[in-house]
Amino acid sequence: MPQSADKVLDHAPLFQQPEYKEMLAQKKINFECGHPDEMVKEIGDWTKSWEYREKNLAREALTVNPAKACQPLGAVFASQGYEATMPFVHGSQGCVAYYRSHLSRHFKEPSSCVSSSMTEDAAVFGGLINMVDGLANTKALYDPKMIAVSTTCMAEVIGDDLNSFIQQAKQKGSVAEDFDVPHAHTPAFVGSHVDGYDNMQKGILSHFWDKAERVEGEGLNIIPGFDGFAVGNNREIKRMLDEMGVDFTFLSDVSDVYDTPSDGEFRMYSGGTKLEEAKAALNAKATISLQEWCTPKTMEYIAGKGQETAALHYPMGIQATDEFLMKVSALTGKAIPGSLKLERGRLVDALADSQAHLHGKTYAIYGDPDFVYAMARFVMEMGGEPVHCLATNGGKKWAKQMEELLASSPFGKQGQVWAGKDLWHMRSLLDTEPVDMLIGNSYGKYLERDTGTPLIRLMFPIFDRHHYHRFPTMGYQGALNVLVKLLDTVFDKLDDDTIIPGETDYSYDLTR
Amino acid sequence: MADALKDKIADVFDEPACGHNVNKTEQQRKKGCAKPLTPGAAAGGCAFDGAKIVLQPIVDVAHLVHAPLACEGNGWDNRGAASSGSERYRTGFTTDMTELDIVMGYGEKKLFRAIREVIEAEDPPAVFVYSTCVPALIGDDIDAVCKAASDTFGTPCIPVNAPGYVGSKNLGNKLAGEAMLDHVIGTVEPAFTTPYDINIVGDYNLSGELWQVKPLLDRLGIRILGSLSADARYKQVAMMHRAKVTMMVCSKALINVARKLDERYGIPFFEGSFYGISDTSQSLRQMCLILVEQGAEPELLDRCEALIAEEEAQIWAQLEPFRPRVAGRKVLLYTGGHKSWSVVAALQELGMEVIGTSVRKATEEDKGRVVDIMGDDKHMFDNMAPKDMYHLLKDAGADVLMSGGRSQFVALKAKMPWVDVNQEKHEPYAGYMGMVDLLRAIDRAVNNPMWEELRAPAPWEEPLTEGRVLPAHSGACPVTGISAGMGRPVSLVPPLPPAEVIASAAPEVSGFTSSDTDFEDC
Repeated sequence: MPQSADKVLDHAPLFQQPEYKEMLAQKKINFECGHPDEMVKEIGDWTKSWEYREKNLAREALTVNPAKACQPLGAVFASQGYEATMPFVHGSQGCVAYYRSHLSRHFKEPSSCVSSSMTEDAAVFGGLINMVDGLANTKALYDPKMIAVSTTCMAEVIGDDLNSFIQQAKQKGSVAEDFDVPHAHTPAFVGSHVDGYDNMQKGILSHFWDKAERVEGEGLNIIPGFDGFAVGNNREIKRMLDEMGVDFTFLSDVSDVYDTPSDGEFRMYSGGTKLEEAKAALNAKATISLQEWCTPKTMEYIAGKGQETAALHYPMGIQATDEFLMKVSALTGKAIPGSLKLERGRLVDALADSQAHLHGKTYAIYGDPDFVYAMARFVMEMGGEPVHCLATNGGKKWAKQMEELLASSPFGKQGQVWAGKDLWHMRSLLDTEPVDMLIGNSYGKYLERDTGTPLIRLMFPIFDRHHYHRFPTMGYQGALNVLVKLLDTVFDKLDDDTIIPGETDYSYDLTR
Repeated sequence: MADALKDKIADVFDEPACGHNVNKTEQQRKKGCAKPLTPGAAAGGCAFDGAKIVLQPIVDVAHLVHAPLACEGNGWDNRGAASSGSERYRTGFTTDMTELDIVMGYGEKKLFRAIREVIEAEDPPAVFVYSTCVPALIGDDIDAVCKAASDTFGTPCIPVNAPGYVGSKNLGNKLAGEAMLDHVIGTVEPAFTTPYDINIVGDYNLSGELWQVKPLLDRLGIRILGSLSADARYKQVAMMHRAKVTMMVCSKALINVARKLDERYGIPFFEGSFYGISDTSQSLRQMCLILVEQGAEPELLDRCEALIAEEEAQIWAQLEPFRPRVAGRKVLLYTGGHKSWSVVAALQELGMEVIGTSVRKATEEDKGRVVDIMGDDKHMFDNMAPKDMYHLLKDAGADVLMSGGRSQFVALKAKMPWVDVNQEKHEPYAGYMGMVDLLRAIDRAVNNPMWEELRAPAPWEEPLTEGRVLPAHSGACPVTGISAGMGRPVSLVPPLPPAEVIASAAPEVSGFTSSDTDFEDC
């Protein structure tokens, strides 16, 4: 027997033992009745051809491996960024389990979120009872300061009206009249998690602001947008604003929610935007969204309240960070301090030290619209060439923005924009027009394996690498982290290509 | 210092083939050419480093450094000399002398044991034993140990006497060459010889540069019999005395070896370079010419010309797409030796303007070639102090600096693109095809978008076009007397620093005085 009690093999090496190999080979011959290996290979090779690519790109109905999540995920993420807030998803509980596992696997932290656990009778008779019971139970079990309600498809298909349900629930004494229960309709069959984020933010702000009177002050609001690197990024943005001496409020800040210390105490809630601050944010002079495509409705609502607004595209890289700082400076009248200029200079120095290794490298980038925009922009700043820019949740307007960006630099010449395409499209693109590096999330590892393109994980979700989210990607410090990730990939590849002793190691060098 | 070593140093300094030396008076010649180091000033590597540089590319030899840990600990496998076979040269062997070894004089015994162990473990064709400062100071006799070890184990053990304190890296190069002449060259006879056997001396196959040239030699039927030490095997060094011609690639480093090969074995040598198209062609021509003089068939010359014509046509076609991206760019070269002229010629071929080249470590012949190529000596300079180089670059006299690694930071501080053309570079620039790599490197250095960000001030420091009304004063200003409640337009950002004067014409590089210190020591 290949397995013995003295030395128990894990499954991966176990299945490599001759007995198992033999058994699996026999199973394949006798029971699987599969196609011959040559044919499998032939078809496999064919899927790498231009012919297959055209068929693939002509797909109309089927989506394969989409690079997006659904609205409620974004809504839950946005809600969690407020003080002691329990996200409550009106609908079926299975969906909610997905959001929680998605967020937990990425941040390696517990992710609190409840549902109204609708079942068949609720679907037939409406979900009011589930809402009434659900709010009461949530308050009793988890003692939140606010319950932020969003919806799954189920509730949306049957047309439950959140506003009236919540009012009725309060009348029935489910929670107190003055208890904060903001809401947003977030059907998964419309848009993606970035829209869910937008809807929930707007829901929470309008809950606090609709009946309040605005008295213009000097403050600045920051809406970070849906961001897998929020722990590192929010702290980095706050640090830069503190350096500038700006009076600011983050609207939804998960940096402490998704980074609680292990000191023997479980924190159901940690950090987040104080509800009082969220209310007072109405009086701010201006609001900056760090991700335009995560906040169109929210920003429109805020502008309607009389604030100045500005929407950026994920301030990553030199130009994008410059833009962010200058926008803050222009809105608040605070000068950009010398300390930040020093950081900028150090980043430029690092780019200069390494430029030879990044110049002319080609990239495929996928992810959320703002990230893809920022990444392509930063890549071009370093002399790299974005070839495929893909966002499953990117629309026509985004595509136009991307094309303008690519046209602005000679390094964007061969850039192609793929709005609404999925990762199976990306596979064909990488096979037919290969690139040096692929930038995306953990799901890209299958593309890495199929096409041999090294993957750099810079986008939510990252399940198979730990703690990336603790380090910023925004700001000058963040750009430095991103730079190092790109360079590590370049150097790892160089080493891999020269690693076989006596065969390829002509340049397995100590110094690179 | 041991007398034998003293004599050896005096001998390599009195080098009749060295242009510098020949031009000296008798008295100057006696003093030797050791430039006194300036205490307190940054300096390059030592003689041991120089010896190691020359010999380490001999790939199958066990290089055993008799020293406290640091000499080999900091130095092993630190250059990109490539091997097509054994990787033994990349392993660091050292005796790791400790306090007791030094105080009690155990060094020689330890060395002997170390030689035994390395032979038992590796069975190398030879062991090179390097002396360093500490064993040399306490008087360890590595020659005697090597002799005893050779006799005992039957493996040649070669003493390399170049302890760090005897002088510069360049002196170490020469001493390493002497060790080869004394102990290795002429000890093995080749199985057969041909009239097409050559030596290549002073190339180290960095980044595999030799392999960009070797196919050309293969096509001409020329065999690299001896190599010191590009991709070399021990035997190749031992058989050098049977070649028909020696090509000297780095003129300063191993001129003593080339001359002595000529004196002792009648092998003529010439100086050549594989940097740049015309230089590659010229080197091939000269090599073939001498081979024919030495007895090769004269038709070799015709084949050589045909090869040159074909290769040149091919490479120009490949280079043409780059020309518009680099033509007209102004280059400052800070290399030295034969690269002073060979790279100049190459860049001029590509339409670039060379505004200056350093002739440090260059021979009179090298300097003569610079004048030939550039028309006059106005563009030549010797050592340039970092501060002068900074100012030259800062004044926008050049678009790109090509130099060794140590000037990189001067260039960056002056916000100047930089291309590495010295030993630590990672790309091969030799031969015809090497020009494509060099061009690509220049292209990406001068055209990378990050230079814009490097040169431009932070964007918030650009002048603000419109003023902005700041909040009103809360009380009367004690200085201006502006009363409370009055707003006024205020510029948000500090004004730009006074505009830097951009020099339109390239400054005269010969105006700089030569610095005593050679901060970019190759």
